[in-house]
Amino acid sequence: MGELLAVGLSHHTAPVDVRERMAMDEGRVRERLQRLRGEGACEEAFIVSTCNRVELYAVPRSVPLIRAWMGEHRGPNGESIEKYLYWHRNEAAVRHLFRVASSLDSLVVGEPQILGQVKNAVRVAEESRSLGYLLQRLTRQTLSVAKRVRTETRIGESRVGVGNAGVDLALQIFGGLGDKRALLVGVGEMGRQVARAMVGAGLNELIVANRTYDRSVEVAAEFGGTAIAYERMHEYLGQVDVVITATGATRPIIGPDDVYRALKVRRYRPLFMVDLSVPRNIDPAIDDIEEAFLFNVDDLTRVMDAGRREREIAAEAAVALVNDEASRFMARLSEIEVGQHIGAITRRAEQIRIEELMRSSKVLDQLDDKQRKAVESMTRAMVKKLLHGQINTLRSAAREGESEVIETLLKPWREDDS
Amino acid sequence: MERIPYIAVLVLYSVVLLAHLLPAVVPAALRERVRLVAAVAAVLHIATLVEGAVFGTWEPGLQEALSACSLGVMVAYIAVAHGAQRALGILLAPLAIVSLGTALVVPNATVTALDEASAVNMWLPVHLGLLLAGVAGFALSSAVGVLYLYVRDALKKKRFGRIGRLPSLESLDRIQFRSMLFGFIALTLGIGAGGALATASLQQSWALDPKVLYTLAVWFWYFVALQARLVLGRRGRWTANFSIVGFGAMVFSLIGLNFLLQSWHSYG
Repeated sequence: MGELLAVGLSHHTAPVDVRERMAMDEGRVRERLQRLRGEGACEEAFIVSTCNRVELYAVPRSVPLIRAWMGEHRGPNGESIEKYLYWHRNEAAVRHLFRVASSLDSLVVGEPQILGQVKNAVRVAEESRSLGYLLQRLTRQTLSVAKRVRTETRIGESRVGVGNAGVDLALQIFGGLGDKRALLVGVGEMGRQVARAMVGAGLNELIVANRTYDRSVEVAAEFGGTAIAYERMHEYLGQVDVVITATGATRPIIGPDDVYRALKVRRYRPLFMVDLSVPRNIDPAIDDIEEAFLFNVDDLTRVMDAGRREREIAAEAAVALVNDEASRFMARLSEIEVGQHIGAITRRAEQIRIEELMRSSKVLDQLDDKQRKAVESMTRAMVKKLLHGQINTLRSAAREGESEVIETLLKPWREDDS
Repeated sequence: MERIPYIAVLVLYSVVLLAHLLPAVVPAALRERVRLVAAVAAVLHIATLVEGAVFGTWEPGLQEALSACSLGVMVAYIAVAHGAQRALGILLAPLAIVSLGTALVVPNATVTALDEASAVNMWLPVHLGLLLAGVAGFALSSAVGVLYLYVRDALKKKRFGRIGRLPSLESLDRIQFRSMLFGFIALTLGIGAGGALATASLQQSWALDPKVLYTLAVWFWYFVALQARLVLGRRGRWTANFSIVGFGAMVFSLIGLNFLLQSWHSYG
């Protein structure tokens, strides 16, 4: 059985101007796969090409040919791309692919697109008939490992950025934003970020109020919201579920009385308030009102910190899972391979036994049936017992991944063949 | 009480609890099928109750009340404690276990008044069934209420470690309200059925029975909570507090009251 090779470059090793020169569309990937196999560089291959990585996974036939093929590519200044490349073999290659597909190697760890991109790469390779026994097995296992990582670790759950921290808090209160309205007061950068993330999370309606009306119209247009006059902001408090403030005002523009009034109108449904301005725009005393949930910039930062810690913990768990799966995959491959060798050894031993019986056939023919049967079963038992220890050692060496032991045990049989 | 099937049910409920309490030590395959385990246990539980009723070992009493109470809580668990509301399992499973466990250890006390009643007529199962459905609804509501207060506290006190891992406030509030409403309707009808039962089987006046009066007080408590919600829109912590106190009173009525007061509902 052949070895496995992963070679490529990614955002970890190569700058964007190199990556963009390497990136290929589907048609080109097909053409490359054809060439790699046609020229005898690989037995099996598939290529993952995204804006952050270009990688070839292969069962190589000739590594120098692959190296030469890679050498054809040049960086933006005509330099060799050799220094950007990483080469992984066998278990390291398997581990790398598992990591990539599980989004552990991504720019934003846990982002979900990469799995789709890997699936696509596999589909293209399948259509180009460049997947054989080994890579089929490997890609199938890759998809199942990626799925395990997604379901068993929390890697894909927490997101980055102040906007998403705001969304996470909103979801903890409301469960969903599909039937919620938000009021954005002021158009400061962080306020817009939170508003953008909420719109992205399916917010039903965004209302924008800013001191300069024209600016609120602009921002409202950007998010598909409605602009209102700043002076009417307090009227709207009772009609929205979310209030985001990000103005340059130097003192609170929303006080407890405004919130009490608003809550009465909304029959005490919870009001989620995010104050992103410094100095603060929403009176901190409002947090003492039961149904008002007020958060400031520092709170959002702490939500992000909690998210980051969680991602780190999740990533550690995911790495452990992936490493474990990779060594199990290799052990299974090696068991299958050893199984084939064991089959060959047993067949060869049986052949030797029959040859030796034939050689003595003249003598054996003089025996009666009972005696012949005894010789038959005696020779069988001898072969079986002689092989028994070796076969067991081979099997356990395969399980433990001790390739030298396997080599040593197989060597005499190989010499025998020649 | 059929002890052996009940112990089996108890073990299964404990497995459910363990899956929620210590997810790290429970195999993933079991964790994912925890609702199925709960469902199997609940079916066994129902079968045991029905078997008792059909083959005559069943007498309405403290043990059966607690057992049915536990079943009600578990049915509530199966209905709501999954997906985002998964965390409820930590509250509901122990409730079911404690209730069933108590049923197994308390002396078998049956309702004395019924021994004297001429016949256990058709109103008895209706009366008991509705009241136990009510208890299950209130149990769910108060368990959800506890979780509501916990999530609310995390948000108010800015503890963000578990943000995104707990059910949302609005969904908890919705469940606590709906289950309270369900419990209230069942309790109302159950009291009505009790009146019909008493009229049919007891000669004496029952309206001044201490347990009846106490239950009416509990009924009124929930009535106030629901009115505050429906008329004034008071929800969230308000509902949760009503719900937790109400259920405490309900449990007291079910277990404690009968030993303290002489009532038609007393266990002999």
